[in-house]
Amino acid sequence: MNEYLAPLWISFKTVLVTTAITFVLGIAAARWISRYSGKLKPVIDGAFILPLVLPPTVVGFGLLLLLGKHGWIGHPLSLIGTTIVFSWPATVISAAVMAFPLMYMTARGAFEQVDTNIEDAARTLGASEWRVLYSVTLPMAWPGVVAGTILCFARSMGEFGATLMLAGNIPGKTTTIPVAIYFAIVDGNMKEAVYLMIIVLCIALASLAALAYLKKPKPRFRALTVNPVPNNMLYTSGKKDSHIN
Amino acid sequence: MLKVEINRTLPDFKLDVAFSVDSEVLGILGPSGSGKTMTLNCIAGLVCPNRGFIQLNDRVLFDTSQKVNLPPRDRNVGLVFQNYALFPHLTASENIAYGIRHHSRSEVNHRVQTLNEKMGLDGLQNRYPQQLSAGQQQRVAVARALAPEPEILLLDEPFSALDSLTKEQLEMQILELRHFYKGHIILVTHDLVEAYRLSSRIAVYDAGKIIQCDRKGKIISSPANQKVARMTKFRNFMDGIITDIKDKNIWVSIPELGVDLKVAANGHKNLAVNQPITIGVRSEYIQAVAAPGQNTFQGTLNSSVENLTSINCYFSLKTETNESYCLEAAFPKSVAPLLSDGQHFYLYLPPEQMVIITD
Repeated sequence: MNEYLAPLWISFKTVLVTTAITFVLGIAAARWISRYSGKLKPVIDGAFILPLVLPPTVVGFGLLLLLGKHGWIGHPLSLIGTTIVFSWPATVISAAVMAFPLMYMTARGAFEQVDTNIEDAARTLGASEWRVLYSVTLPMAWPGVVAGTILCFARSMGEFGATLMLAGNIPGKTTTIPVAIYFAIVDGNMKEAVYLMIIVLCIALASLAALAYLKKPKPRFRALTVNPVPNNMLYTSGKKDSHIN
Repeated sequence: MLKVEINRTLPDFKLDVAFSVDSEVLGILGPSGSGKTMTLNCIAGLVCPNRGFIQLNDRVLFDTSQKVNLPPRDRNVGLVFQNYALFPHLTASENIAYGIRHHSRSEVNHRVQTLNEKMGLDGLQNRYPQQLSAGQQQRVAVARALAPEPEILLLDEPFSALDSLTKEQLEMQILELRHFYKGHIILVTHDLVEAYRLSSRIAVYDAGKIIQCDRKGKIISSPANQKVARMTKFRNFMDGIITDIKDKNIWVSIPELGVDLKVAANGHKNLAVNQPITIGVRSEYIQAVAAPGQNTFQGTLNSSVENLTSINCYFSLKTETNESYCLEAAFPKSVAPLLSDGQHFYLYLPPEQMVIITD
């Protein structure tokens, strides 16, 4: 059973950490770029979206060059005794790079829909930029943010090409479910491949259900859907209210 | 006391204004695109002027020479946006409570409750903005802006999205505001009647400049120039030259019409013979009389438009030099049956009701 559980556990950890990282970084980048109006905007925007349009193997290869023993980042790290390539963090890095554009793009679209007057109103009411973000911008952009998170989750769950390039296939260490399925089939181990496939299917359906539930507006975000008006409020004819409707 | 002296230059627009407000309602009146909203945004700190300074009571909010520019959150300025900009994900009460910080829960509730009562929002506390009518949304927006107890309240076209009945009722509410809100108020509007009813002084804007800033009565009775006169609903203008000054009257020759008009000086000083001036007359003050005389023209009725309580008549004046000069007069409805197109009238311009525009 261990050959099924190990990839499952590794994938689980990777997806969780990746989604958390892309959630924060994607929102931060989207927030920044939607307020930034410099000349470099299209360039930065393009750089953020680049992993989405490149083949995953190309991204993986690029990361390998960057993080490898002689790369710009890999070399300084190797001097302090850290190697990223072919380690578990490599699965997170490759999945995060691949999933980031999805979070960034959806969050950016959602932020740009938020009426800047409403954010300005919060500022004149004494709110700091931080409070404006979490009490006004995020709640108003919530459906977009949740959609981005779902996409990130799905993308990092299925990440294969870049992960294989950067993290390789070290059983019990970097072998995620997609990588395990691929090598099970290559080895002719159809039984293992089918078991893993069923597990992935269950996780995917369960997580979609969970996220669909999350996307449903909480009381805090209820304004995003039409709200049933309590009957006793529809026909108020209070003294104060009746003369001004 | 709020003192404002700001300059902001954009590629195709320049805002350059200076004014002050002291425990009163200042109306900023002007056409769209004249810089009214930009002025409010500068005071609130949402827009940064290129040069100038803004001082609110004893605090400097903005000063280019001292390099001071307080962020909006530290300015203590209440701004009611034109579209109200309520938080759609918060209830009316939560909207109002948003700006009340550093107080205990019960203190916040108490203040929200007080504002609810004052703004007539009882029973609407738990509704979300989109469940409120435009008038109710506006009251929530005003209550929300007042909640942090700002030193000045800025109202940006507060009635532009409302039907006329709601508008009148909310105007009353703004007037009542003065009973419990003692700070300064600036009201931006493009509606003369609204500005006149609600404010004590009016600053008239045109293309980023203040062309007159005075007590509201003064704006109406002695406009500084033709632009102000047009904005304050003067309909008839005649260019002329002063021919004589006697006692409290002046005589003005109107070459276009080939007549001399007697005009009351109305406290105008520095008038001189041969000075070119413009005479303005409101359509309501023109009278139809039986016989020719001083200040009387013969006019032919071209067309008329019926209003609720009066009739606007467009006359072409019978003069020696120019037949096509058009005069607009408004008569009470009682004379309506007497009017027919092509009819001749003698029109009298009362000397006391004409204004002298020297600029």
